[in-house]
Amino acid sequence: MVGLFVRLKLRLIRGNLRGDVAKQLGFAFTSLLALACAAGGFTLFSLLRLAADPGIALNIGIVAFTLFTLGWIFVPLLAFGLDETLDPSRLALFPLTTRQMTAGLLAASATGPWPLASLVALSGAVVGLASGPVGVLIGIPAVLLQFALCLVASRAVTTALSASLRSRRGRDALAVGAVLLLLVFQLPGMLVNGGLSTDPAAMLDAAASVLRWTPPGIAAHAIAGGGLAGLGELAVLVVAVAVLAWLWIAALRRALVTPDSSNRSGGAVRRSRLGGLLPQGMVGAVAAKELKYARREPRGRIAWFMALVVSGIVMFSLRGPEAWHGPLFVIGPVCMAAMIIGVQASNSFGIDGRSLWMNAVAFSTERDVRADFAGRQLAAAIIAVPLLLVLSVGASLVAGEPLWSVPAMFTAWGVLGVGLGVGAVTSVLVPYTLPERLNAFSGAAPGQGGEAFLGSLLGMLGVGMVALPVVLPALFGLTWVSVLAVPYGLLAAWGGRRLGGMIGNNRLPEIVAAVSRPT
Amino acid sequence: MVEAKPEAVRTQGLVKRFGAQVAVAGVDLVVPRGSFAGLVGPNGAGKTTTLSMITGLLRPDAGLVEINGHNVWRDPVKVKSRIGVLPEGLRLFERLSGRELLMYNGELRGIPRAEVEQRATELLRVMDLVDSQDKLVVDYSTGMRKKIGLAAALLHNPDVLFLDEPFEGVDPVSANTLVDVLRRYTSSGSTVIFSSHVMDLVERLCDWVSVMSRGSVVAQGPLDVIRNGRTLNEAFLDLVGARGTGEEGLSWLGSSSV
Repeated sequence: MVGLFVRLKLRLIRGNLRGDVAKQLGFAFTSLLALACAAGGFTLFSLLRLAADPGIALNIGIVAFTLFTLGWIFVPLLAFGLDETLDPSRLALFPLTTRQMTAGLLAASATGPWPLASLVALSGAVVGLASGPVGVLIGIPAVLLQFALCLVASRAVTTALSASLRSRRGRDALAVGAVLLLLVFQLPGMLVNGGLSTDPAAMLDAAASVLRWTPPGIAAHAIAGGGLAGLGELAVLVVAVAVLAWLWIAALRRALVTPDSSNRSGGAVRRSRLGGLLPQGMVGAVAAKELKYARREPRGRIAWFMALVVSGIVMFSLRGPEAWHGPLFVIGPVCMAAMIIGVQASNSFGIDGRSLWMNAVAFSTERDVRADFAGRQLAAAIIAVPLLLVLSVGASLVAGEPLWSVPAMFTAWGVLGVGLGVGAVTSVLVPYTLPERLNAFSGAAPGQGGEAFLGSLLGMLGVGMVALPVVLPALFGLTWVSVLAVPYGLLAAWGGRRLGGMIGNNRLPEIVAAVSRPT
Repeated sequence: MVEAKPEAVRTQGLVKRFGAQVAVAGVDLVVPRGSFAGLVGPNGAGKTTTLSMITGLLRPDAGLVEINGHNVWRDPVKVKSRIGVLPEGLRLFERLSGRELLMYNGELRGIPRAEVEQRATELLRVMDLVDSQDKLVVDYSTGMRKKIGLAAALLHNPDVLFLDEPFEGVDPVSANTLVDVLRRYTSSGSTVIFSSHVMDLVERLCDWVSVMSRGSVVAQGPLDVIRNGRTLNEAFLDLVGARGTGEEGLSWLGSSSV
């Protein structure tokens, strides 16, 4: 049974690659990356031996083992969702006992470049932490147990969540969760930047003293400690793995007999009364749809959330030494935020994707496409204008010069207009399909990476160049120029709409095809 | 002889290639006004590609498309406001509710908001979607999606309606609703063109049939002429030249073989 599952996993990997050069290259790259991570992880763990203080080495080991386990639990969920071998419901119809299934699924999850890389990296800890031959004797089973712990914990969590992960709401929540996790990884850096703790060693010690009692911490401690205590810790680990495995089996049993919830329909949405305030006709209809998509579509939510987070990070990380003082450090970050929001518009039709035909069958003139862009720009402005206002005030307060919020706000609004205008042009020149599930490795459908790259590059360069006349003087102290920024931005947005409408009307079928690619 | 009105749909030598593969190789399709027309053909015959080119969603490599005498690709203003489309694959704005989808479509076509509001309410009632009008389309079943798609295509009261596989995966109750609405629509003199694999359905509904095979139209005309005394299914299998008995091999299959 174990062999069968391992072969199934290998076949799934191979079948996925057949006849698709992009995927094959991707897999080759992933394998190389896994190899590098295995070698790098092994080396880094081994280097712990060179640490001056074995206590610090142990602390690092404990934290690293814990992070490893957390990575195993969350990364498969967020980056890949459910792959076929992770989804027990696909196996529900086969005459397998739970035990066979457990062994098989465990073997399947140990197969592949990443699990092997993890095992190699973890075994570096034996080299780095073990004290003497006894340490090695205890270290090898400890590493194996830690590896089993990672696998079982990861399986238990995906299985327990598999029902909700298949539902639409579950996947929506997960997509946003991925961004939150990215933010969590930013936290330590921001805390250190913010000067909350001056001594990294003390922070490490505090973290390790708590994590030492978690199963991965115990594993790291067993390798370093050795002796009778180490043996006891191994026994604790065995119990921990067994308990997790039992939980997993229980979840598996439940998942196999629980009906598929993916067809359970979601609740109703409220009819919006705000829609009545938008202008009648095409512009209002498109704006209303865009506003709903920014709220309801996970990719829309992520885009806005990211814009907010990135501008927040920029704002706080620029709070540096005393010499960093001047309008530049208020106007700069806010304009950066405006630019990030503007560049979102560089593939306006991407989120519409396969539904764009609905617009295409209704549009018959250049004016219609222009109205579509006007609606999209209106929706973006409705969200971004107040957002940039808040950011300007925030940034000026951080700098201690509330008056600077005025030029910052005007300049940022101008940059936003430029971004939306340039976006209208890039949207019709290099449209591409956004994948249903966002992941860190690809922002476009297979085979369209080039378009995606070109689109963002053109967007960035375009915004940068067109916005230069108003941004540059303001950055260098000529703050009165910012008065001109808003009319300039409006002009740029209008020009972009016009040009985009002209090109877009002639390319509608091609644009629809480009954003409707299978992902 | 003077022709009173041009046909609802007429194409001449319509060609579309995807790389080396010729998907549509010179289609001459004719559908008279006011007909309930079926476009039938095996998988890969080029039905969807043809319909996409006729409705302005896919640019043809060569050929001419006229709807009510207006060239689709040269005169889209006269054509696009007069046609309704339900393409294959149920691609709708997933994150709008059924009602919002209809409102969006109506306003996109320049119908005043109050008028859209009223038409949407009536369509939702006829399509039996009142209970789910405020649910997101992403949570709709296949039958519900086809119904809301048809409602969206009908909202601006088009002269010609193009439906790609409208009955695929639809439950009998929803299918019945779809058929009722379409019958009412054609009885007023409007034209429906729909593609399908289901010969019984085409036979029951249509008065005009076009048969496609390997990228071209192999026969078209009134249903009775195409049938010529046979069932439509027999006529179809003869036309596309695919009649095998299927008795070679599989000797083990069935309960008598043990």
